Amino acid sequence: MNEDQPLPDRETDSLLLQALIDGELDAAAALTLERRLAADPALAAEHARLAAVQAAVRRLPRPAVSADFTARIAGLAAPAEAPAAKTAPARPRIDWRALAASVVVTAFLASGGTVLLMRGPASDDFAQAIASSHRRSLLAASPIDIASSDRHTVKPWLDAKIGLSPPAVDLAASGYALLGGRVDVIADRVVPSLVYRHREHLITLVAAPLEKAANLPSGPLSAGGFSLVHWRDGAFSYWAISDMARPDLDDFVARFRDAAANG
Amino acid sequence: MSGRSASERFAEVVLPHLADALALARWLTGNANDAEDVVQDACVKALAGLSSYAGGSARAWLLAIVRNAAFTWLARNRPRELVLVADPAEIVPAADEPYAESPEAALIERADQAAIEAAIAALPHPFREVLVLRDINGLSYKEIAAMLAVPIGTVMSRLARARGLLVRSLGEAS
Repeated sequence: MNEDQPLPDRETDSLLLQALIDGELDAAAALTLERRLAADPALAAEHARLAAVQAAVRRLPRPAVSADFTARIAGLAAPAEAPAAKTAPARPRIDWRALAASVVVTAFLASGGTVLLMRGPASDDFAQAIASSHRRSLLAASPIDIASSDRHTVKPWLDAKIGLSPPAVDLAASGYALLGGRVDVIADRVVPSLVYRHREHLITLVAAPLEKAANLPSGPLSAGGFSLVHWRDGAFSYWAISDMARPDLDDFVARFRDAAANG
Repeated sequence: MSGRSASERFAEVVLPHLADALALARWLTGNANDAEDVVQDACVKALAGLSSYAGGSARAWLLAIVRNAAFTWLARNRPRELVLVADPAEIVPAADEPYAESPEAALIERADQAAIEAAIAALPHPFREVLVLRDINGLSYKEIAAMLAVPIGTVMSRLARARGLLVRSLGEAS
């Protein structure tokens, strides 16, 4: 119980418990509630019930996306390519089902992102390439090379591996859990990426040593349905990409930059 | 070659989220076959409106279209279901029921798939919708609030109500 705050009523408690299991409470509110849970068995039991219900709903199997259905939907966008479409199903059968399934699995997997070399100021193409790489990484069997929430593990690992290590700040208290790190090779360049998770969303943070990427505009971009933010700090050029809404990604970027600057 | 690029964009923005779209439609319509019809309708609309997609979460964007398509479909095929949507506020939370009378968490954990599905299907539409968007589609409160055009507080109270009903029915079913 927290000093002289008024006792929240039952309905408020219920909403707070929901927000806690949904990961929608900020760190301070979560801490307060967790202390109350430790001291109040009835509240703890309600929390356990809600968590059990949530787990029950989440373990329901997803409806399968049949190959026929995927082909039918994909065909909507390509009515003119009828002859080619006949031979096409073999590919979409694998690609799009896997892709769709990967979105489901995203909640549990981490992803690594990649960086491309800039050959010019074609930021749109570049953003598309980042998005494609991010999506491709979602399909990988093991998208992180080192899984650790401890930045003191991730940073030396990257350093030892490729001699490069961006600031691997721990943002768990702000709701962004560090899942691990990964190494990508793009256009003959080795670049480190960090992977964070926020609720079910994965954020890939690519950090390339500042070199030829100087032409790229900073600020919000968007590509392939992902939000993308690019900025430069110190010796690195950063790209953060995720399927989160833009304001959430901006929040992540602001907290990362803040923590990196102070850490 | 604008046709080609629209097709590529469609493949990038829409196709990756088909599983989510089907999951939502399955719970809004009640079965998998109708879900495919609804998602197909939605994808036709998504394709037509692709140029209006302005970045951000493609999944939330597509799910909003699926939800609208599901409503259109329900209005045409099962208008009676929609009566329930009218005023969720009328179904007030049972806030004063003591915790002690609620079932044990362990009972809920033992619930089998059929029981869980039946319990979700039995939820009034507005509660089921929020629960599915949250726990099956994994949208945030903010995304759900934006999609339904209701305040976040409403999302939270509907979600609390949905889960409260599930606690009770799963506790009994076990």
